[in-house]
Amino acid sequence: MVRRSSFSIFKSVITALFLREVQTRFGTKKLGYFWAIFDAMLMVLVFAGLKAAIAENAMPGVDFPVFLASGFLAFFLWKDIVNRSIDAFGANSALFAYKQVKPFDTLVTRVLLEILVSTMATLVFIVIGLYFEFDIAPQNFNMVILAVLWLVVFGFGVGLMSAVFAHFYETFGKIVKVVMTPLIFISAIMYTVDSLPPVLRELILYNPLVHFMEMIHGYYFAALDTKYVDYEYMLYWTLIPLYIGLYFYVKGERRILST
Amino acid sequence: MIELRNVTKYYQTKHERKYILDNVTFTIPSGVNVGILGRNGAGKSTLLRMLGGIDFPNSGFISSPNSFSWPMGLAGGFQGSMTGRQNVQFVSRIYGKSEYEIKSVIESVKAFSELGDYFDMPIKTYSSGMKSRLSFGMSLSFDFDYLIIDETLSVGDKNFQEKSKKALRKKIENCHILLVSHSMPVLKEMCDVGIVVHNGQLHYCDRIEDAIETYNQINR
Repeated sequence: MVRRSSFSIFKSVITALFLREVQTRFGTKKLGYFWAIFDAMLMVLVFAGLKAAIAENAMPGVDFPVFLASGFLAFFLWKDIVNRSIDAFGANSALFAYKQVKPFDTLVTRVLLEILVSTMATLVFIVIGLYFEFDIAPQNFNMVILAVLWLVVFGFGVGLMSAVFAHFYETFGKIVKVVMTPLIFISAIMYTVDSLPPVLRELILYNPLVHFMEMIHGYYFAALDTKYVDYEYMLYWTLIPLYIGLYFYVKGERRILST
Repeated sequence: MIELRNVTKYYQTKHERKYILDNVTFTIPSGVNVGILGRNGAGKSTLLRMLGGIDFPNSGFISSPNSFSWPMGLAGGFQGSMTGRQNVQFVSRIYGKSEYEIKSVIESVKAFSELGDYFDMPIKTYSSGMKSRLSFGMSLSFDFDYLIIDETLSVGDKNFQEKSKKALRKKIENCHILLVSHSMPVLKEMCDVGIVVHNGQLHYCDRIEDAIETYNQINR
């Protein structure tokens, strides 16, 4: 038998896991495609409708549905990466019978899959946006992409940490999932930090997601800015969970494999 | 060759540690087919899993320059929601086969395992016999130094058993097996040497007949 480098094994395993996840996610349930965009679509419709009902356009120079769509797409990408990471070990445990498959690979696969799903959802939104003639062109495309990629790494770190903790203490995973819903309202997705009263502003800036949302919105719309974004704070929130996650993963990998 | 150095493996039960291997140092020589015997719960399957690299000792080391198959057994190794075909694709991919090679693997596994329409059904609908037929059929398509087999030769009807044994005999011209079985005729037929797992120790016998004799004494 030819010996392969660990990187080439890693690549084969990721490919195999990815295709398997695509099969189970979209193959067996044809609704898979639908759910991929349904979440974000529903939120945009609800909040755009609410806003239209209670106020005139409070953000001059910004198409509010586009503002909502960019925020919700990014938020759901992050949320799904974390939530799906938590279930990744359990959902693939039978495949650990093949020694090439490591629990870590299942996390990487799920992150890649969520990027694919989110990209598809974004394309659907772009088509809808073009059809309704919204102003969907981002002011600074590169910085928006950078913010989204950074958000992915942030999600991966939190997902890895949560997955490892949740494997040993099931309750931890449940708590993380419960926290996700209120996060929708306190993450500056449907409003800007600037529009808040100063007291709230200070409080909400402790939420790292707020900084990511402000960064995305600030670079997307020429009428908004990124003055509340604290890059150092974002970096801490990216690196610390990633470090903790990796540390406990390395210590616990064998126990995860053998259960 | 497989080397075990000060290997200890236990399971924690409510009141005590149940030792499967208690500080075992031991070398399985190259070039022989190994039969593994032991009573139920003695730790044969755990030993196989550790040799296959998917379970780990609590202390000590297991090392080998050789490659091992996945443990082929009645339990585990399959994700219930995947079909037989998807599982064959999955395993082929993790072993780095090209899409072209995968097609031929699928054809040969499908033909060998005699699953018929079940080949495209989720594995959770399979009987345990069907699972081992799939697992064994797959292993024939890959090259390993050691095949790890846990009781799978006694599944299926007479016909299928004969076919499996024939395929295995052909396969072991190029590789060796680690075989757990409760069937003495199968052990005698396939294995050269034997290991009896008992009370946390391994008893090695140069001839499989001696191992069977040792095992019978334990059971007396």
